[in-house]
Amino acid sequence: MKSTNSNKLLKIFLYITLFTILAPMAILILWIFVGRWPWPNLLPATYSLRAIKEIFAPYSNVFSILFSSILLSLSVAILSAIIATITARALVLYDFIGKTVIEFLTIAPILVPGAVFAMGIHIVFIKLSLADTVLGVIIIHLIYTLPYTINIMKDLTESVGKQMEVQAYVLGASPLKSFIYITFPLLTPGIMASISMAYITSFSQYFITLLIGGGTVKSFNVLMVPFIAKGDRSLSSAYALVFIISTLLVFLIIDKIIKKLPYQDNKEEI
Amino acid sequence: MELELKNISVTLSNKEILKSINLKVENGEFISLLGPSGCGKSTMLKTIAGIINQHEGSVILGGNIIDNIPPYKRKTVIVFQDFRLFPHMTVAENIGFPLKILGVNKNKCRERAIELLKKVKLVGYENRRVHEMSGGQIQRVALARAIAAEPTVLLLDEPFSSLDTNLRKDMRELVLELQKEYKITTILVTHDKEEALIMSDKIAFMYNGQIEQYTTPKNIFNNPANTIVADYFLEGTYIDGEIMDNRFLSELFNIDVNKNNGKYKCLIRPLAVRPFKSHVGEFLVINKIYQGDNYLLKLNSTIKDLTLESIVPDFTDIMEGDKVNVEIVKDKLIFIPM
Repeated sequence: MKSTNSNKLLKIFLYITLFTILAPMAILILWIFVGRWPWPNLLPATYSLRAIKEIFAPYSNVFSILFSSILLSLSVAILSAIIATITARALVLYDFIGKTVIEFLTIAPILVPGAVFAMGIHIVFIKLSLADTVLGVIIIHLIYTLPYTINIMKDLTESVGKQMEVQAYVLGASPLKSFIYITFPLLTPGIMASISMAYITSFSQYFITLLIGGGTVKSFNVLMVPFIAKGDRSLSSAYALVFIISTLLVFLIIDKIIKKLPYQDNKEEI
Repeated sequence: MELELKNISVTLSNKEILKSINLKVENGEFISLLGPSGCGKSTMLKTIAGIINQHEGSVILGGNIIDNIPPYKRKTVIVFQDFRLFPHMTVAENIGFPLKILGVNKNKCRERAIELLKKVKLVGYENRRVHEMSGGQIQRVALARAIAAEPTVLLLDEPFSSLDTNLRKDMRELVLELQKEYKITTILVTHDKEEALIMSDKIAFMYNGQIEQYTTPKNIFNNPANTIVADYFLEGTYIDGEIMDNRFLSELFNIDVNKNNGKYKCLIRPLAVRPFKSHVGEFLVINKIYQGDNYLLKLNSTIKDLTLESIVPDFTDIMEGDKVNVEIVKDKLIFIPM
């Protein structure tokens, strides 16, 4: 009895969740084709292909900016995962002076309000002539994504521990080979999760990209947000759909890569 | 390869774990490090393998000091208590791993893995995943992998403690068989005295970071160096006394022995006590415990403050509450100098 009850509850919960995701999606797709939709009509008054034409128009550069934006965010994601893996390893497996301070600093960027933080960094970046450069944007995105990726990697590094690596040492593997053949494969689920997390965080940044990139570095968001701010719903919806589809595609590819990796087994053995 | 530890001291987080250890293991020998948990035996194993660095002393392997050689070049392979098979590899890949890192090609690694699987009696398991195997099978794979690394010294860290009793016996036999076949110098860490007595050429008894005694199983059992060693193998009752002119004098009995003069503790283990029924018996049977093949009797002296234990065959007619007298078997007494 109890199990069927909780099953029902689970189903209801599932449907509600599905509805809250799918309903706005449906409306979003509908909005792309709206010409005029005056209140209080239940359905649009006129339909048009203006938004689609606009997006595919050669002068709008949507897809070239989309690809460079994906490339930027992927670079950020991969760099972030690499730095996080190394940092987590240092924080979990080694003892050094100032460890707690550094541990705290790894979460600092998400404790400080984004705008305040970005203004400060902006001044520093101007001095370092990193403002208005792609490198600058990559660095600021890295700072933003690292708290998430480091925490993901810290948990996994803790659970993987050093045991397997030590076993590899005594079997004759040098520290480098032990890392490549043993630790790295065991950490891949976390690395992939970090990449996904960092990618979506980086790809959704608007304000800091605009501020540090100064308009010379165009990300997809920098392109899309003005239309939303202007209240052009059709065009905003079209952009949003491109955003969603591109992100889903990237995630699908990451997922495919994970599945290609050697089988991961986290069962406790006795 | 022969292994020697000279004055090894290890301090971990300000606690002295090993205190100036000296130990020599001959080539092809099987020795056990026996002792209660926390005595430092696992630390010693890790020091030999180079995972823990000693603060003083040297590890000498095959005549060469290896203090500055990193673990992965020592070929001192540890089989850990939790076996540590690599979960992302198949059984064959696990066994082939030590060869793979030496640059041996894939097919040869696999060939050797299959060959070693035969040795550990796991034919046909090469493509299995670690999580599809039982504890005993995992251990066999761990053993095969260690042998694949062609160890200079094989270090076994309580490898049988997680197995059930029947499996343990098979595994002990298998380990000994392989150790003899490949003539691998082997050090077994264990807290199981039976295991140490059965398997080893020599036993090093460790207590509190020191080696209390290092000798053959027979010797350590029959001539323990002190009460700590004696009690670890088999507890009994101690009688204080003195040996003068080859005669042990105590308040319970006087007996001829061939030892130097001095004060001694005489350990009376259960097998040294032979009770027989007597109406004028000096001892009362207060407890009779069934132990499978035999009974353990607890005997209380009616005259002195003394309790003896005795092991008697299961067909004994002595019952709880009976009065008995005891005969002490002289050969089974153990004299420990005070």
